[in-house]
Amino acid sequence: MPAQSYGLIATFETPAAIYHAAEQVRDAGYKHWDCISPFPIHGLDKAMGLKRSIVPRFSLAGGITGFCTGMSLIWWTGGYDYKLIVGGKPYFSPMFAFPVSYELTILFTAFATIGGMLFLNGLPKHYHPVLKYEHIKRGMDDLFFLVIESRDPRFNLANTRSLLEKAGGRDIKELEA
Amino acid sequence: MSTQTASNPPAAGARKALVVGLAGIALTACGLLVSGGHIVAMSWLVGVSYWTAIAIGMLMLILIHHIFDASWSVVLRRQFEHGLSAFGWLALLFLPLVLASVLGPKDIVWPWMNPAGEIHGGHTVGHDPLYLKKASFLNLNMFIGMTVFFFASWIWLSARLRKASFQQDKDGDVKWTFMNRRTAAFGLPIGALTLTFASIYWIKSLEYHWFSTMYGVWFFANCVRGALSIGVLIMLWLWARNDYKGILNNNHWHSIGQLMLAFTVFWAYVTFSQYFLIWNANVPEETFWYNLREINADGTANQWKWIGIIGILFGHFFIPFLFLLSYRHKVSHGHMRFISLWILAVIFLDICYNILPVLKDAHGNALPFFSLNLVWTLSATVGVGGICVWAYLRSFMSAGAKLIPIRDPRIKECLTHHE
Repeated sequence: MPAQSYGLIATFETPAAIYHAAEQVRDAGYKHWDCISPFPIHGLDKAMGLKRSIVPRFSLAGGITGFCTGMSLIWWTGGYDYKLIVGGKPYFSPMFAFPVSYELTILFTAFATIGGMLFLNGLPKHYHPVLKYEHIKRGMDDLFFLVIESRDPRFNLANTRSLLEKAGGRDIKELEA
Repeated sequence: MSTQTASNPPAAGARKALVVGLAGIALTACGLLVSGGHIVAMSWLVGVSYWTAIAIGMLMLILIHHIFDASWSVVLRRQFEHGLSAFGWLALLFLPLVLASVLGPKDIVWPWMNPAGEIHGGHTVGHDPLYLKKASFLNLNMFIGMTVFFFASWIWLSARLRKASFQQDKDGDVKWTFMNRRTAAFGLPIGALTLTFASIYWIKSLEYHWFSTMYGVWFFANCVRGALSIGVLIMLWLWARNDYKGILNNNHWHSIGQLMLAFTVFWAYVTFSQYFLIWNANVPEETFWYNLREINADGTANQWKWIGIIGILFGHFFIPFLFLLSYRHKVSHGHMRFISLWILAVIFLDICYNILPVLKDAHGNALPFFSLNLVWTLSATVGVGGICVWAYLRSFMSAGAKLIPIRDPRIKECLTHHE
């Protein structure tokens, strides 16, 4: 018995098996748990009861920031700080500031999306308790794992183990934190 | 099969569409007595261009579907194939414009067709060096020959796509899929070139002094946006008929919504580029086209300025763009219905913006948008639309094709799109 428990890990053979197991764990009311799969499984997010990611909000904020940065950059440099007539055009016009703003909108949206995704996933992460599990590498190849964390309010070693067994999991092991 | 569904019988709908179409055409014809041939001919050009653009958009989307071996759009593709049956009728409806130009006043639509026509400064088209340089391209024989070629290409490509797809329903042979892929490979360049030249001959040449290399791309963007919006309305209609229940899931709506968003940005990119490059270069040979759509000869703003800012800039880009950013809007039927109708309305504005300011008063100012002429423009658009919807429903009801391409190799992937 490990001194400090992280949770229980169960092994599944097929995407369908872990999909249905996820539904049972979701319906049992667990909150702190996750599935490990070598590839994305369509519909697994729904089976796990996950809400839509909030990454798009980061993207939107990044896009708006980029657009405003572009506009104010052009206005500040050419229309305020060092007024300069170029090609007989006004000091500032959204017309010629638009290509810059547009490019920065895309750039900042991309940065915010990547950054927001890493942030929400808690990445980069150098250590995770499941990495100690001896067969975890097969989770990148041909096996599927379901981990329920012991910090979950519903976690109870015996009950959770029997739930995972009932859901069809094999090799149920306790993980060290 | 779909025709047995009790609610919303398509036969009654087809009759209604035909009546609406003929009524619209009849009302437009009455306009001849009120506003004269020139104005009504331009209105008719708006109506025919609008629906031809949507049919071209459907054709291009089917070709793109096949070239990418796409899966989610398999069920929708069948409805676009029915939509393609409108091309023959559109060719027929285009005919009055050609006949009027040949038999009636030569410049009833396209000013360059009349060499004696007076242009700015008291010269005539026949002595206009800018026309003479383009005369080998802009002449009646070329115009008629090219227009026949455009419609012939579209009808031929449509016939090939429809035949292969409908035949596969019966025998399930995968060779039809490969045939369609070959059609897509050579059909896409043909489609791209014909729609570009069609927009140049039919719409851009109305101001034959003007030039823009973005024109064909602008037209293409409208074609696809129109077809996607009609596609959404068809999906909603089939959903309401219970035909699409169990076939479509949220991901189909999300996918078509994403395409609509992408083409909104694409449309804005090319339309803004055209405006921006002309604005930046500030050369009178190009700017006059936008000046006509902004100010009168005395410098006061005209109605087209507000059509441009409110209708085109905000209506055609910002509103659909911001609206379609949201995932929830893309998977909500009510929201998708709203934005599809909205986009169809602003495409109408965009086509009007490109065609109607050619109509000028004695001072050379563009005639206003909100006037009696708008009635003929709307009636022509509704009239041609009624005929197109009727053609679609006739094809939809025919026994030749099932509701969805049940033997398409990708059908299973489509029905479980992202599930």
